[in-house]
Amino acid sequence: MIRRFGWRNRATQLPFAIYLLVAVVLINLTVQPGMLEPATLNGNMRVFLPLILVAAGQAIVILGGGIDISAGAIVAIVNALLATQVGLQGDPGFAVLMMLFALLVGMAAGAVNGFFVAILRLQPIITTYATSFLFGGLALWILPSPGGGLPAPFTSFYRETMPLGLPLAFFVIALLVLAWYGLRQTRYGRYLFAVGGRADAAYQTGVPVRVVQFSTYVISGLMSAFGGIAITLLTGSGNAQIGDLLTLASITAVVIGGTALSGGTGGIGGPIIGAIVLGLVPNLISFANIESSWQTFLNAAIIVLALAMPGILSLIRRRRV
Amino acid sequence: MTISLAARNIAKHYGAVIALSNVSLDIQSGEVLALIGANGSGKSTLSKIINGVVVLDGGQLLLDDHPVHFQSPQAARRLGISTVFQELSLVPQMSIAENIWLTREPLRRGGIVDRKAIYRKTEELLALFAGTFKSNLTPDTAVGPLPPDEKQIVEILKAASADPRLLILDEATASLDSRQVQRLFELVLRWKQAGMAIVFVSHRMEEIFQIADRYTVLRNGTTVGEGLIKDVTARDLVTLMVQGATAQNVAQRSRPSVASLAERNITLEAKDLRAEGLHGVSFQLHEGELLGLGGLRGQGQHQLLLALFGDIRFTGTVTVDATPVNFTHPRQAMRKGLALVPGERAKEGLLLLRSILENLLIPSWREYGPLLRIGKARQNAAAIATSLNLKMAGLEAPVSSLSGGNAQKVVIGKWLLRNPKLLLLDDPTKGIDVGTKAEFYKLLAQLCEQGKSVLFYSSDDEELIGLCDRVLVMHDGMIRSELVGESLTRANLVAASLGAAQEEHS
Repeated sequence: MIRRFGWRNRATQLPFAIYLLVAVVLINLTVQPGMLEPATLNGNMRVFLPLILVAAGQAIVILGGGIDISAGAIVAIVNALLATQVGLQGDPGFAVLMMLFALLVGMAAGAVNGFFVAILRLQPIITTYATSFLFGGLALWILPSPGGGLPAPFTSFYRETMPLGLPLAFFVIALLVLAWYGLRQTRYGRYLFAVGGRADAAYQTGVPVRVVQFSTYVISGLMSAFGGIAITLLTGSGNAQIGDLLTLASITAVVIGGTALSGGTGGIGGPIIGAIVLGLVPNLISFANIESSWQTFLNAAIIVLALAMPGILSLIRRRRV
Repeated sequence: MTISLAARNIAKHYGAVIALSNVSLDIQSGEVLALIGANGSGKSTLSKIINGVVVLDGGQLLLDDHPVHFQSPQAARRLGISTVFQELSLVPQMSIAENIWLTREPLRRGGIVDRKAIYRKTEELLALFAGTFKSNLTPDTAVGPLPPDEKQIVEILKAASADPRLLILDEATASLDSRQVQRLFELVLRWKQAGMAIVFVSHRMEEIFQIADRYTVLRNGTTVGEGLIKDVTARDLVTLMVQGATAQNVAQRSRPSVASLAERNITLEAKDLRAEGLHGVSFQLHEGELLGLGGLRGQGQHQLLLALFGDIRFTGTVTVDATPVNFTHPRQAMRKGLALVPGERAKEGLLLLRSILENLLIPSWREYGPLLRIGKARQNAAAIATSLNLKMAGLEAPVSSLSGGNAQKVVIGKWLLRNPKLLLLDDPTKGIDVGTKAEFYKLLAQLCEQGKSVLFYSSDDEELIGLCDRVLVMHDGMIRSELVGESLTRANLVAASLGAAQEEHS
């Protein structure tokens, strides 16, 4: 019964995320009429982009039936690496090289997770929680106190580039969606859904379940590294605790976006929208002139409501049947 | 595509349990081999060895006269052996087409899955069963919400789409309706003529006689007979399946006579119960009676017990102690003195990580007041643990530290603490050791002597024969026959389970 019911939901999940985005944007427009002007939009989107990138990686892991609690810590490692190794006065060529290296580091961290979860078959949530301290500790070792940074031309490129008058983030999102659409068309895409859906059935059919699980963590590590680069470009400085809030935010974004935590359904479009919604809510609250002592509460209340909405809607639908 | 497969003296054990001790089997291109045996005779294990899901411990598999040793289902599949699994191998979230072609997706340039080709090929496959579906199936239909028969057909198509040389149909017809079975048989004939070899595992005698050319009979993990179907009758096969098998380790109890049972009060009466998998079940259970539920697995026994316990919705009437009841929640059934001991201990009966004490007391906390009288509760729990001869480190030890048999005792103990008058048992001895089973049988006999009524589903035929006053044999959601007194024999039970004609009362 319950399973059947969850099924009906699936079709409504992406539209729900879109409704939510439209609702949040509309409300935001009433308190901040200039919100859709290019410069303001860019100012918002460049702040949301790191979470969008991390959430996209998180979505892949969750689709495959796992979860990555260490995503934020991988962001921190990358941030610490770039801030210390490149520095504010760093050589541009070296900076680019370091960014490529950071991507490798992210994938390596993901491979560590993948090894524990897919090969040693440990619980994903506990394992990645544990490795998050491993990675977080490394980040602190690299950068014990906030400091360092990237050369100004890099940060201003990230903050101010607006190809065709649109925020840079839009182009990144378009790339992500395209890459995802392509991935879905491949055999790997099918395997991902099969493994997340019912790993034993997939195994019985001959899907390389462990390889697929392993790969999801590497992808998540890579996306976290991209997120780390983005957040370093955004802030222009280093802070080993910068990723702390990103992990749970990325999981929340995935769920708001309609990807079931049980795996096997969803995509990355929803999580990207979820990440934008998560970014817009505090923005909306701060523009609504709400007393600052209430802001945290209100922010959380809206997120809880957004999370509960699909459940409430289906409850209403069930009553009607 | 010719093939010949021979199994020689295959052995397989799981720990101390011997699943197969000496099994041989031969099959060749263009024939249908029926693999027959009673519950637990090793049919499924043998098919899993042939298809590489289970690795054998002894003996040899010869494929086209060469020894082979499969380490995985994929290895077997590469050599042309495909299986229709009994436990479905479908991913519920994916569509029919995605499931059928999983790992064998036709690819276009650049590794892109050729969805058009998949769609077309899947339509062709679905057309093989056209007209037998309740709903309108397209290749894009999600598998999850499909009814069991249609899932099974997708599973069959998935196995067949690999163009195997050897196809194993492991109880593939169990959830199909007669039209779907006939369609499948037409296909089997066609495949057979094309040179495919088919192993047909089934409990349904009429199907075996309709489709099979040869048979191999297993009993207790050993091949006990093989030959041509046209040379035997259903009775012969049943005899082969049960011959020499004796009731073991079942406590003999003095059974009340049929006449004396009929005079007793009726504790529970069901009339025309219907639910998913139940198609009109009526019976009476008397005070102090041990009533068995038999038949093949999955013939509605589980649903019947759940319905009586108010766990699933049903239509029909249930009367407990002459009062009509309509349980919609297990709590109501519990208040009326019913208790359900589930078979899936780990899933339905126990909180594995919590202590024995807690597990025993969960259904009874209400008895111990709003402010729990822990001392009293502990005393009662300790008493029941002693009376059940529970082997444990202490009441505080987690249930997960117990052996299967002792864990099952906890499940029963927690209900006995409530002093129920009617026990519903759902295959309670599955996977527990012989010693504990014997204790358990004694306990059941005691309970009945105390005037409690027991409805006892077991997948172990010996238990039913050795223990029960009467046995209701279920088939396809209905009670196929009632065995009592002289007619309660193993041969009759197996025959009724398989739907073969019943032996005359001797």
